[in-house]
Amino acid sequence: MNDKVKIYLLDVFFGWYLAITFHRVFYYHVLLSTDSPDFTWNLMLPYVGVAIIFSVMCLLTGASLGKKIISSTQKGTWQNEFAINIAWILILMTFVTSWVVTKVNIIQMFDHERLNAAGRLFSSLLQPNWNILQKAIMAMIETIYLAFLSTAIALPVSFLLGFLSARNLMKGNPISFALYNILRIITNFTRSIEPLVWAVIFTVWVSSGPFPGMLALMIHTIASLAKQYSEQIEDIDAGPMEAIEATGARPIQVIWFAVVPQIVIPFLSFTIYRWDINVRMATIIGLVGGGGIGSMLIQYQMLSQWNEVGLIVLIIALVVWLMDYLSAKIREALR
Amino acid sequence: MEKLVHISNLQKIYPNGTHALKGVSLDIYKGEFLSIIGLSGSGKSTLLRCINRLHEPTSGTIEFSGKDVTHISGSELRQYRKSIGMIFQHFNLIKRMSVMDNVLSGHLGSIGTFASLVGKFPGSVKEKALNNLDIVGIREKADLRADALSGGQQQRVAIARTLMQNPELLLADEPVASLDPATSHSVMKYLEIMNKQHGCTVVCNLHFLSLVRQYSTRVIALRAGEIVYEGKPQDITEEWFKSIYGEDAVEVEIE
Repeated sequence: MNDKVKIYLLDVFFGWYLAITFHRVFYYHVLLSTDSPDFTWNLMLPYVGVAIIFSVMCLLTGASLGKKIISSTQKGTWQNEFAINIAWILILMTFVTSWVVTKVNIIQMFDHERLNAAGRLFSSLLQPNWNILQKAIMAMIETIYLAFLSTAIALPVSFLLGFLSARNLMKGNPISFALYNILRIITNFTRSIEPLVWAVIFTVWVSSGPFPGMLALMIHTIASLAKQYSEQIEDIDAGPMEAIEATGARPIQVIWFAVVPQIVIPFLSFTIYRWDINVRMATIIGLVGGGGIGSMLIQYQMLSQWNEVGLIVLIIALVVWLMDYLSAKIREALR
Repeated sequence: MEKLVHISNLQKIYPNGTHALKGVSLDIYKGEFLSIIGLSGSGKSTLLRCINRLHEPTSGTIEFSGKDVTHISGSELRQYRKSIGMIFQHFNLIKRMSVMDNVLSGHLGSIGTFASLVGKFPGSVKEKALNNLDIVGIREKADLRADALSGGQQQRVAIARTLMQNPELLLADEPVASLDPATSHSVMKYLEIMNKQHGCTVVCNLHFLSLVRQYSTRVIALRAGEIVYEGKPQDITEEWFKSIYGEDAVEVEIE
C-alpha cells in the first residue's frame, strides 16, 4: 500500500474516532449526563461522513496527523501544531471514554451507606472465624498438592517439548524445522489462553472439583515451561556442543553431555517458580469450580459469610507469601 | 613424506553469503606441525572446521589417509571425527562438570549410547583419563569443577580430552589466543608433546609469529580465503608479513 493511501486511511480513522467519541460519549454522557442511544449500524453513516470530510480537509491543508505518523510534517508550521493537537485530543477522548465505559463513580464510593458496608466487611475480615480453620487448611493442602501435581505431570512433557521447540537444535534439517514451527504455533496458542478459561473448559468436560483445576493448570504449565525451557536451550553456549560433536559423539550424546549440563539448573529454577505460580493460580481457578481453597472462598463469599472469608483470605496470603519466600530462597541457592 | 590430508580446491560459502574459502588446496603431511596464520576472518577457523566436517564444504574434496571424506555421513563421519582431536580458543569445556567427566567425554565416540548416558565408563577408560591428566600435569584437579580452573589449566583439560581419542590429527583453533604469554608457552609445549611423543599431526591456527617460528615445522598464510604463503616458518620475511597482515602491521613478540 502506498504512503498516500495509508495517510488518508489513518486520517479517516482518526476523524471517525473523534466524531463517534465526541458525539456518543462527550455530548450524551458528559454534557447531557444521559445514556447515548442504542447502537445501530445506520448510526455509523453520519460518523463516516464526518470522517471523510475531516480527512479530505487534512489532505487539502496538509494539517494531518496521519502524515505526521507515516512520513513527516515540517516543524514550526501550523499544520504540524494542528497534527500534534489532534493527537492530544485523541488521547484525551480515549481517557474520557474509558472513564465513562468503566462507569467510575467516586461519589458513590464514598457515600455514607457504602462506607458503612465496606466497614462491616473489613471488620469481619479482621475477625476471622477460627472454627473453620481445619476445613480451610485441608482445602489449602488440596490446592498446594493440586498445584504440585499439575507441575509434576507437565514437567516431563515440557522438557521434551522444550528441546523440540528450540530453534538452535531443530533448524538443522527441514523435517525437524517443520516440527519446530508446528510446535511453536501449538504452544503459543495454548499459552495465550488463560488457565481460568482452561478451568472453565475442563469443569464442563469432567465436572467441577480439583481434577479439572489440575488439568487446566497442567495444560497452561506445559505451554509456559516449554517456552521457557526452549528459550534457555536457545541461549546456551554452542562451544561445548561443537567440542563434543568433534569427538565423534552421537547427536543424543551431544545433547546429554553438552546441552543438558548447561540447562539443568535454570530448568529447576523455572520449575520451582512455576509451582509457586501454580499455587496462586490454583486459588483463582478454585473460584470457577476448580476445587481447593478457591472453591471454598467463593462459597462463603456467595453466602456473605465475611468472617469465614476473612480466615480463608488470611490463609491464602500466608501460604502465598511462604511459597514466594521459599521458592526465591531455593532459586537463589541453585544459582 | 606421507600425506595424511589432501585438500583440493576447497570452497566454503556460508548461508549469509560470506565466501570464507575460495579454492584452498593443501596437503598435510604425517607428523608435521603445521601453523596457519592470517587475520581474523581470513578463513583459518573455517578451514579447520571443514577438515573434521563440523562445517560442510560447499565444493572441493578432502581426503584423509587416501580416503575421500567430503561427503561421508552418519557413523562413518563419527568414526572419522574420532580420529581427529580438536581444541578451541575458548576451551569449550562443560563448565558444570568435573574435570574428570570432561576428559571422559573425549571417549564418547567409542562407547555405547546407553552406557555413556548413565555415565558407565569402563575402569580402563577412567584409568586412561587419569593418565592423560597426568600427561598435562593436572591429575590432582580431577574432581574439581571445570570452571574452577584457570584458563591455561582448562586448555590442558581440553588437551587431555582429545588425548582420549588417540587422534592421528589434532586441529587447534587459536589455542592460546585467550591466554597470557607464559601460559601460552605451557599449552604450546603440550601440543609439541602430542606432536613429538604421540606421533600426532598438528594443524594449529596462530596469531603470534614468534610461536609459529618456535613450534611449527611448516606454515601457511591465508588471506581472504586464499593461501598466500607456504613455507618454512624461518623464511617469513618482513615483506611477507606485511602482505599477510597489511601494510600497517607491526610484529608483536611473545616471550
